[in-house]
Amino acid sequence: MASIVLDALGLKCPQPILKIAIKAKELQPGDMLEVLADCPSFPVDIKAWCERTGKTLLFCATEGDGKHKAQVQF
Amino acid sequence: MGKVAFICNGSANSNIYPAFVLASSAIASGDDVIIFFTPAAVPALKPGFLESMTGKGMPDMKDLLEGVMVLGGRMMLCELGLEAHDVTASDLRDDITIGGATTFMAEIQDAKTTFSF
Repeated sequence: MASIVLDALGLKCPQPILKIAIKAKELQPGDMLEVLADCPSFPVDIKAWCERTGKTLLFCATEGDGKHKAQVQF
Repeated sequence: MGKVAFICNGSANSNIYPAFVLASSAIASGDDVIIFFTPAAVPALKPGFLESMTGKGMPDMKDLLEGVMVLGGRMMLCELGLEAHDVTASDLRDDITIGGATTFMAEIQDAKTTFSF
């Protein structure tokens, strides 16, 4: 099981989700992806993306300064 | 997942950005995506045009374009655009196909959603 961090800070909607989808091509079921992002719609978008693609959103927390950290189980 | 078709009716930011923002969201979520460019959008298909497009507060167009293509999105130009703009296929970017309206309509017959910008 791989654990990967994706830094999407500074990227605007929908770039973080696009980066996740590209990274997803090389991930296997069970892998863990941690994403850092500061685009305002990210918490809602990552939830929608996980629901639509059948991934598990373990959490999405706002860490201050508008930065969000999400963990997705593949 | 579904299929989403986008139609770009020009080469201005207001034609291109909404198409690519929504296309990248759709394809990132597993949808099949096809972007059809009408003749008025021919200037946007000159090599390097999309890559150098910028807009205040907008995401990086080069990034969106690369993402859409890496994830299997397709771009098609209406063949009427060639003569309309006095160009040939070799004057335009090479990651597009040039096709007729009937081909496009056949391609999108099972599309759930179509956007036109």
